[in-house]
Amino acid sequence: MKTETERETTAMKQRRHLLKALGGLGILGLAWPGVSRPAQRPRELSLKEADFYRPHDLAG
Amino acid sequence: MSAVTCELCPRGCTIPEGAAGDCRVRVNLGGKLRATTYGRPSAIHIDPMEKKPLYHFHPGSPVFSIATAGCNLHCLNCQNWQLSQRGGEEMEEIYRLDPPDLVRAAQGEGCRSIAYTYSDPIVFYEYVYDSSELAHREGLANVFITAAYINQKPLRRLCRVLDAANADLKAFDDGFYRRVNAATLQPVLDALVTLKEEGVWLEVTNLVIPTLNDDLALIRRMARWIRDALGADTPLHFSRFQPQYRLRNLPPTPGETLDRARREALDAGLRYVYVGNVLGHEGNSTYCPSDGTLLIRRVGFLIAENRLTADGRCPTCNQVIPGVWQ
Repeated sequence: MKTETERETTAMKQRRHLLKALGGLGILGLAWPGVSRPAQRPRELSLKEADFYRPHDLAG
Repeated sequence: MSAVTCELCPRGCTIPEGAAGDCRVRVNLGGKLRATTYGRPSAIHIDPMEKKPLYHFHPGSPVFSIATAGCNLHCLNCQNWQLSQRGGEEMEEIYRLDPPDLVRAAQGEGCRSIAYTYSDPIVFYEYVYDSSELAHREGLANVFITAAYINQKPLRRLCRVLDAANADLKAFDDGFYRRVNAATLQPVLDALVTLKEEGVWLEVTNLVIPTLNDDLALIRRMARWIRDALGADTPLHFSRFQPQYRLRNLPPTPGETLDRARREALDAGLRYVYVGNVLGHEGNSTYCPSDGTLLIRRVGFLIAENRLTADGRCPTCNQVIPGVWQ
């Protein structure tokens, strides 16, 4: 017979396993509400060349 | 592999191919440094000029305000960290607003000026420069809200197209800059002098953080330096700290601390010393340094009363009040 505290601990463990599994789905790129990346994230960044820099030859 | 060295700010990042500088937004692609947030703001608002804060420049006017992701500082108390401590690709909102569109948008909203603000506009330098040049051609003013951690050469060039700046002087203490901002003091002091020399209208903000930079001797030294290097007419804003980001363990700045800081700066000879982020404080308003007349009464960011004459003088003693009032 489990005590109230033991039942809570078990429930917490199950919840943690579930969240880990959902996180795993996120890593695989499968969307899951509240877990994965936002559905739309515009990524069109600029390629404008900057003004103040100089080439720097690491090997040299 | 071809690395590049960014020469925009004193950090001088050497950036390997495919990587970004410390600011997260200047990226080496194929041996060329790219400004990845050029024309890609992530924050667009119309603010009152007083919010910048600029108290002696177009008072009461709306200013079209933009920022992109990224920053070359990493302040523990950053109030815009969701914007400043991210790269463009991490932003959930990123708009396309190239310089002509930005100028048109500002005009369309009835703004007479554009503010480059929120994060540090130094990291979207090219976007600021091109937009400002265009804005000038269209009769708009440009204001730059910055921590002034920038190299001299790019700053001198930028000054050609700037009309006003509010620059943070975070503390008159190099150790503070290193610990709290991941920066150094001297380049900031040099930048403030340059802004003044180049004729950009300059106001200075000092955020007073309990236990970190609220020492009155430090504040006195800072005020004296401003008086001697920038002039006694340079407005100084003491701003109230609110706990946020990585400094949530500290309390908000007590009102008495701000009062003492203001008194210290006035005693040092500065003529226009303000207190910000405290609603209804007498230090929100502008007073004539000659006869003490209340000239501009502010309530928060609102102008409740403006008694300056049309040519920027005290109505009772005719003292000229420096600023850009029209």
